[in-house]
Amino acid sequence: MLALQRRIMKSLLKVQSLKKYFPVYGGLLSRVIGHVKAVDDVSFEIKEGEILGMVGESGCGKTTVGRMTLRLLEPTAGKVFFEDTDIFTLKGKEMAMIRRKMQIIFQDPYSSLNPRFTVERIIGEALSVHGIAHGNDLRKKIERLMEKVGLSKRYLNRFPHEFSGGQRQRIGIARALALNPKYIVCDEPVSALDVSIQAQIINLLQSLQKEENLSLMFISHDLNVVKHLSQRTAVMYLGKIVEMAPTELLNTKAAHPYTQALLASKPSLDPTDRKRTQPLQGDVPSPLNPPSGCHFHPRCPKVEARCKTEIPRQIEIENGHTVSCHLYV
Amino acid sequence: MNYPGPLLDIQDLSTFFHTEENIVRSVRNVNLTLYPGETVALVGESGCGKSVTALSAMRLVPIPPGKFENGRILFKGEDLLQVSEPEMQKIRGNEIAMIFQEPMTSLNPIFTIGDQITEAICLHQDKSPEEAKILALEVLKKVAMPSPEQRIHQYPHELSGGMKQRVMIAMSIVCGPSLLIADEPTTALDVTIQAQILDLLDELRKENQMSILLITHNLGIVAQYADRVAVMYSGKIVEHASVEKIFASPSHPYTKGLLNSLPKDKMNEELETIQGSVPHPAFLPKGCAFHPRCPDKMDVCAREIPELKNSGDSEEHRTACWLYNEES
Repeated sequence: MLALQRRIMKSLLKVQSLKKYFPVYGGLLSRVIGHVKAVDDVSFEIKEGEILGMVGESGCGKTTVGRMTLRLLEPTAGKVFFEDTDIFTLKGKEMAMIRRKMQIIFQDPYSSLNPRFTVERIIGEALSVHGIAHGNDLRKKIERLMEKVGLSKRYLNRFPHEFSGGQRQRIGIARALALNPKYIVCDEPVSALDVSIQAQIINLLQSLQKEENLSLMFISHDLNVVKHLSQRTAVMYLGKIVEMAPTELLNTKAAHPYTQALLASKPSLDPTDRKRTQPLQGDVPSPLNPPSGCHFHPRCPKVEARCKTEIPRQIEIENGHTVSCHLYV
Repeated sequence: MNYPGPLLDIQDLSTFFHTEENIVRSVRNVNLTLYPGETVALVGESGCGKSVTALSAMRLVPIPPGKFENGRILFKGEDLLQVSEPEMQKIRGNEIAMIFQEPMTSLNPIFTIGDQITEAICLHQDKSPEEAKILALEVLKKVAMPSPEQRIHQYPHELSGGMKQRVMIAMSIVCGPSLLIADEPTTALDVTIQAQILDLLDELRKENQMSILLITHNLGIVAQYADRVAVMYSGKIVEHASVEKIFASPSHPYTKGLLNSLPKDKMNEELETIQGSVPHPAFLPKGCAFHPRCPDKMDVCAREIPELKNSGDSEEHRTACWLYNEES
């Protein structure tokens, strides 16, 4: 345990004040009439061998953050350091070199695999693109990857449509592992799968992460899954991280009213423990026109006067436990 | 509104789809009853036949390729499989209503939500358009739609997912149905909205003495809202019990597996899994459909299909498994 802790001390990915505003066009001349602030001033880091859970409701910006850390999207402002290199300053070959170390696993195993490619080509594509392996060597590498994710190598020449959802997600994971990455963004990798299959994929991700000492950003709206997997959890609401803490602390001592509400609206598996108090009223506001001050104030049960005008700063209330809420200033 | 005996009594229902290549056995000899005012959950993974069971009860299965092979669907004592289509149209939306998983695609994008609710009223009830409009506004208030006077003139794209689902619920309850079939009503919604919608359904059930057939794959929702539970696997009900029994002492290996595979409070431990995956409904294994994945399988499981029988502890608790079938 100590050895593990020492290993995860080193920071792999550092995100500083990351912003992404998508312009909205309108009017007769299609001028910019506003911005969707998908990600608004987000900072965090992921250490080596650590799983960071990213939780939030749809449209809160969690996927956009994940994609920017891979430079699949260019940010409006802010920096992302991967192994102390600012990835947005890199060009051409340098970027390609660093891309090998970062990968993504997508939510929908049905649309994220090319239907015209065989499994062999899907998994091996990155290896041949980067000129790492050819011919027999390539095939051997692919077979080893398939074995690693629990797919029989008999399936080498099959097409994605011949597989079930769980098996397709295994192909997606094998593809992500092909280049021995250090960092993988898992964007809702189990939410399209059935319960019994979900457990298989979660176990696979967990064992691979330990074996390869991978750093993962695990994006999900399922709090139970995040709690099970991640060491630290960040909660996002309308483009901002409202709370971040070691997972256990977040689940036992949630500080932000939004986190508390999220945890309370999670249906309990005990039929004798039935709650009928709705923790939150109303809908998530549109990110095009977010409320003033703290974005959460129109739904917050503990709202005060200054919540409506002042944006709360992020403060550390305990070691490693940060929260953005006026209650704790 | 009160009817003595079961409100809905599905007896030995089989619904198959005849495609060019093969026969897809989606629902196989399903028995299910619903009494007035109760919530029964139909649980299972995708493709297990839970939606086809519900669509059969609404007679919304496309025929062909679908076909009701055998069985009866008694609603207030009348067999829905025997009534004519015009009669069925009177029942549908009026006495039995359904809400679907995707509020985004189940509303007509070119009509205002007011138009869509009044359409349901005018079809089933003898009301003038003005009266219908007042009723529509009332029902929107009942489903706790924010600022209903404005919303009634808006189009579906102007509403959020949660609000669209409220409109769907408003449309389905406006005629005061005695049975509401909710097919994954909150799967497309966020957790905080999910709780709001399910609480709303539960209040409406109590208020109107309505029965709800709740179709879901989310066991948390089942634990919170159902009175009784039927677990489906590959077109068959494999276990049936009160909600307390299902969670406290599940008997079918599949039910046990499902409950065990959920992430629990213990962090970082390996989850228990059910090995393999669900068989394709056109190529079901012989005997019990679950046997290739079952940790407790015996020889008989691969030969014969077990019947749904009492598994001991109570009258209501029934399991289709050879482990509990004496005469194997």
